[in-house]
Amino acid sequence: MIRVISDEAYKELEAAVGPDNVSRLPVVLDSYAFQPFENHESMPWCPSPVAVALPSTTEEVSEVIKACNRHGLKHKAFSTGWGMWCGPTTDNVVQIDLRRMNQIVEIDEKNQFAIVEPYVCGAQLQAEAMKVGLNTHIIGAGPNTSPLASATSMYGVGHDGIYMSYSARNVLGLEWVQPTGEVLRLGSPGSDKGWFSGDGPGPSLRGTMRGYTGALGGMGVFTKVALKLFNWPGPPQVKSSGTVVDLTSEIPENIGLYMCFFPNADKLADAYYDIGEAEIGYNSLKVATPAFMMVLAPHLFKKLKDTKNLSRMLGKTMGHLFLMLLAGTSKEDLAHQERVLEAIVDEHDGFILDQKNIPPLKSNFMMNFIRATLPALVFRIGGSFSTALGRNDSLDSQVTWGEAIADIKRGYASKGQIIDDMGDNPYFVPYESNMFAHCEVVYPYDHRNPRYLEGSNNITMDFIIGAVELCMEAGFGTLPPARKILSPLTSNYNYWQKKFSEAFDPDQGSDKGLYTDETEFDFSEIAPERVAKLERLVKERTWTELGPPE
Amino acid sequence: MALEDYRRDIEGCSRCSSCKWVPYNQIKSWRFSKNCPSIYRHNFHTYSGSGRMVIGLSLLEGRVELDETVAEIIYKCQLCGACDSACKTYRDDIDISEVLLELRAYCVEQGELLIEHMAMIDALKREGNTLGEPKAQRGDWAEGLDVKDVNAETCDVLFHAGCRYSYDRDARQTARGHVQLMRSAGMGVGIAGKEESCCGGRAYELGYRGEAANYADDVLSLVKSSGAKTLVTACADCYSHFQYVYPKMGKELPVEILHVSQVTEKLLDSGKLRFRRKLPLSVTYHDPCHLGRKGEPFAGVWKGDKLDRPMNLKRSGRKGVYDAPRNVIDEIPGLELTEMERIREYAWCCGAGGGVLEAFEDFSASTTAERIAEALATGAEALVTSCPWCLRVFKDAVEETSACIAVYDLTDLALMSAGIAQPAAV
Amino acid sequence: MSHKTVDLDGFKQVVGPDNVSTQESELESFRSAGMASRGSPVAIVKPTEMSELRDIIILARQTGANLVFSSSAPPRFRGDSIPSEDGVIVDLSGMDEITRLDRRNKVAYIEPGVTFSHLIEAADKVGLKVLMPLLPRAGKSVLACFLEREPITIPKYHWDMTDPLLCTEMVFGTGDLFRTGTAGSPGTIEQQIDAGLAHKNPLGPGTTDFLRIVQGSQGTLAGVTWATIKLEVKPSVHKIYFVPDIKLERLIEFTYRALRPRLGDEWLILNSRALATLIGETSAAVEELAGRQAPWTLVYGVSGYRYLPEERMALQEKDLGKIAQAAGVVPVSEVPGCPAKKMERILASPSPEPYYKTVPKGAFTDIFFLATLDEVSTLIAVMEKACEHHGYPTSELGAYIQPIQQGRTAHVEFALSYDPADEAESKKVAELADSASRALDAAGAFFSRPYGAWSDIAYRNCPDTVEALKKVKRVMDPDNVLNRGKLCYGEEVV
Repeated sequence: MIRVISDEAYKELEAAVGPDNVSRLPVVLDSYAFQPFENHESMPWCPSPVAVALPSTTEEVSEVIKACNRHGLKHKAFSTGWGMWCGPTTDNVVQIDLRRMNQIVEIDEKNQFAIVEPYVCGAQLQAEAMKVGLNTHIIGAGPNTSPLASATSMYGVGHDGIYMSYSARNVLGLEWVQPTGEVLRLGSPGSDKGWFSGDGPGPSLRGTMRGYTGALGGMGVFTKVALKLFNWPGPPQVKSSGTVVDLTSEIPENIGLYMCFFPNADKLADAYYDIGEAEIGYNSLKVATPAFMMVLAPHLFKKLKDTKNLSRMLGKTMGHLFLMLLAGTSKEDLAHQERVLEAIVDEHDGFILDQKNIPPLKSNFMMNFIRATLPALVFRIGGSFSTALGRNDSLDSQVTWGEAIADIKRGYASKGQIIDDMGDNPYFVPYESNMFAHCEVVYPYDHRNPRYLEGSNNITMDFIIGAVELCMEAGFGTLPPARKILSPLTSNYNYWQKKFSEAFDPDQGSDKGLYTDETEFDFSEIAPERVAKLERLVKERTWTELGPPE
Repeated sequence: MALEDYRRDIEGCSRCSSCKWVPYNQIKSWRFSKNCPSIYRHNFHTYSGSGRMVIGLSLLEGRVELDETVAEIIYKCQLCGACDSACKTYRDDIDISEVLLELRAYCVEQGELLIEHMAMIDALKREGNTLGEPKAQRGDWAEGLDVKDVNAETCDVLFHAGCRYSYDRDARQTARGHVQLMRSAGMGVGIAGKEESCCGGRAYELGYRGEAANYADDVLSLVKSSGAKTLVTACADCYSHFQYVYPKMGKELPVEILHVSQVTEKLLDSGKLRFRRKLPLSVTYHDPCHLGRKGEPFAGVWKGDKLDRPMNLKRSGRKGVYDAPRNVIDEIPGLELTEMERIREYAWCCGAGGGVLEAFEDFSASTTAERIAEALATGAEALVTSCPWCLRVFKDAVEETSACIAVYDLTDLALMSAGIAQPAAV
Repeated sequence: MSHKTVDLDGFKQVVGPDNVSTQESELESFRSAGMASRGSPVAIVKPTEMSELRDIIILARQTGANLVFSSSAPPRFRGDSIPSEDGVIVDLSGMDEITRLDRRNKVAYIEPGVTFSHLIEAADKVGLKVLMPLLPRAGKSVLACFLEREPITIPKYHWDMTDPLLCTEMVFGTGDLFRTGTAGSPGTIEQQIDAGLAHKNPLGPGTTDFLRIVQGSQGTLAGVTWATIKLEVKPSVHKIYFVPDIKLERLIEFTYRALRPRLGDEWLILNSRALATLIGETSAAVEELAGRQAPWTLVYGVSGYRYLPEERMALQEKDLGKIAQAAGVVPVSEVPGCPAKKMERILASPSPEPYYKTVPKGAFTDIFFLATLDEVSTLIAVMEKACEHHGYPTSELGAYIQPIQQGRTAHVEFALSYDPADEAESKKVAELADSASRALDAAGAFFSRPYGAWSDIAYRNCPDTVEALKKVKRVMDPDNVLNRGKLCYGEEVV
């Protein structure tokens, strides 16, 4: 393995991006090897790249990739660079840091889309879109992330999904530097017809670009994307002071925020279904009271959760709620939507905490919610967190999944391997007026605590077993050991991905670790009965040459 | 404290990059959404708050050896604190600013020094100021002023001019103005003149902890001997060091510490000062880092797990001096304040701090230029601030680029409006 | 390939002798679609289940047969199920069950032979509606229609280009079975349904979007054996409005402003000829009605659902009224020959027989493509110029503008009617269609669904896309047995 880049290769990278924009200094490389988030195996480091290149144009990206290919180096790109997905998964990788490609190339107001480069973050795009009455989908990870990365390479769930869908479905035209270094524009820009369509002529190559998940850097580099924007009925700039917890904003009269509580999960789901059919809602997220408190007041939460009665009240009494932001075309329209919401919630035995009756709360929550800023506070309780495998499908299936994971979590919380957040802590959102929905369950921990790492393999295994039992298309099963277990049960999807990977990347120059690589799961710490359970499920559900199990 | 003491802070970083951005809810445009001058200029993650913390971990774990190159990266940072306050918008358990300071102290300990910084420290040792000017001339700025000499008599209010106000020819008049303003309100102000010493803050920031402690001792003894109940400074750097670094070093000053903008605000509130003259000018206000987020008073050190640290011990940057200068501006008839996008604890740095102005002139200038561009984007006719270091670099940049904006010290505007100085420049 | 070289016995073994036909009367419908073709259908093979389809493909790989999928009843207008080379028609129309209809999740599980009439009737019984293209042929397969990205008339439900198609089961050209979206999840479909899945996630599984690749491929990559289709709830109250105007630009402005906040349900713009063709029941009626319409008419619907339906509708009417006023247009409840109720029926139904576009003159040629709405007027001018150049009366040019993707894009469709018995006119229209397509392409029209000769036009613009599609073809149909000669793969694929 080459762990040091050759002078010749390095010179070619310098020629591609300019000497100031490439580095092989150990201190620089180490800062790219630091990827603790979601890095359960080798916290906090991932393999160090052999060089870091900072291209500023598509042509430079292409040149970097070609140089890598000439010298047998792999490449791995990132945009804003958060999480172990972004770092190399193996040795011999040139990290392509796209932060110099940071332009909002165009906002096409009439046709509701923006063309952006990789290092435009969600908050930037939203701020600019709002100026022309539009908004952008921001993923739950927060406004610090790259909309291009979510749309092309990652997942893409956000709590504006009810109105702004899922990142993968918001892609129009796309510019893609393939693993060979050749530039491919998908859809209409490929024919020089503008950026309004990403599909065709004929079969859509968007399908090779990504599916439920993206290739996480395993299939070249995406350099420009046209993303759908959505109506924003608020002001060009929401006047606000403060930052997050102390944020106060001026709320437009046609926007309202409501917390809707239900006696149980089924009633909540019923109400969500009806809301979908009523076609109201601008942002919505199912949350849990403990999760709220954990985020906003972690110290208080820690104290209260050890107080039995309060704990029960927090965890059970107000355990089934969703936040709903309504945005009307006018004050009158908001009032109508409000009446519809009231009727639905009432019909399903729930009640609404209308935040207009609690001005400070509304003033704080609205912008936090619209800009997806609150999830960043999940780190406050333990320093880190992860989410169980996420799934997209019917709303009912999300309820089932959320409950299954909450049960799994309780066992680990009682052993102190994860932080007790009272179990139910979902990131549960409806998409497209509840056409479908998503649920991934959060579990906080302190990654600096060795007890967590001791338990991490076990908890991952439990999630995998749960996913297989509940017939889940484990979209978040991007880790090589999970892929190896799940792919044979899931249409053998990775067999086909490898085929596409070979077709588009004959030299296998892109870092495939999180795209197609498969490794053995380390079962050494897994209890025999759980291993046996998995084996039984795998045997029962594995696809054969003839197709799925009958 | 040493770098090792911050290992948990460093390991707590998730690399979310919040340290690179204005707090997200306050991002108002694509153009002015970044907060860190260093990564803005140098681009590699290594130059960000997070990246710098990783340097710390790499050094602690022996993954990287400290050498000239590593030290240069460590020093290419104004220590403006924007990364720290941005991170703390979301996190409670990471003190980036402290890590950055420890990295510099580590460099000095290991002998990885910058020539320019060594020159500054030599000047400090030799002449008692960071500018290398003769110590004997330190009090010249106050010549002829009706002000007490605390070397000879006690006073209620000790005015500490600071190095820049004492020696910078453009700033001297303003320094006099500070005193005149207080005197006009009947305050019993004293100064130390040529006996005033540097606050030592720059030495602390460059990693020279011993020198910093010595200067803190000098100031402490002067304050004690002066009999003052209040220490007023017009220099944001000095203010920050008095408020935060001194008590952190265990050298808390036993007096009330005020910035001159706070004094002005108090005088206005009490009616002892009145602005009469109209100054028809649209202005924007630059929050100096050391008066704003780094001006937050020291509240104590938490010894336990920072996840459990009480909020009042978390240095969020929100408790800096933000309102006083704005209230003063608000009181001046005719002044119309238009805020820049990056203000208060998420303000963009002027570029002068952390030894960058002395060691990396281009980097300092590009940081300044970015702030001037932001000021120009407001459409204001003038950029107002409350720190002599910020003023110096802003004035130089405007002069060099012929940017269409005037630069004012807040006190100069106050003096004009109060009728203590002529409004010639407005 | 001729029928002599086709291994009919092999196919008979797979599907049974009764399900293989070489009767000319049956083959005839696969011979012409108004487009020139080098190939002929040599046999029709009718699988009744997925395993038969798989075996057909495996057999074709062994024998080199060219398989052409068909699910709809004739007539065939697009040409995708007309062999470009001699080929075996794989007729899936016999697989015509709606295997499940889930009211709560608003989804139908359908086989390829399910037609719009069939699905509309079933959905209606449970209070759901089918998202309709504009007057599809009565025998048109729902699945085939949406596999070819046919636009629907309600833009607000068209979130992405795959809509309303969701999950599918398909057999690749390799003979491998695959399930897309959440249908690919572990377990049997029944187990998945028991676990709460409703097969509404169209993405994946995993990191590749196989449905999206197969969609628009004209049967060149895979055959689909069932799919889930997104349905929507039937409104409690529903009204249709017309906005006649002499200026298309005003209607487009109105459309932009209305669709952005997702006002309205059905939303389409027709020129006088297209509207008359839609509502006229005879050739004479079409002629007469066309003369009585405004040059352009926008048709839109407003709805109220279960909760406060009248209030919702009133608000929408009010909002749309304001927007109309700002755009300088006037909504009305009737246009000549078409009260709102009639249009409501048209928009919710398949075409009567004969297919409505054949009514004016017996035959027609379509030209359709994608463009942004703000480019449409320019492209119409290009089309009209081409008509004038070829001596085709612009008064007979039908134009239909269908906003899709919630108004971000428009499907633009021109219809050129002609008398098929009139050789000169037929030739003129063919020449016009060809030269107009080229002129439209040059002016920015994006031929995203390149049937027949359009594939040359469309793929000439994007050599990089062609290279990438060839790679896809090599993975999914390495022996080039599926609809050989279509699209852009060329000979080198095999």
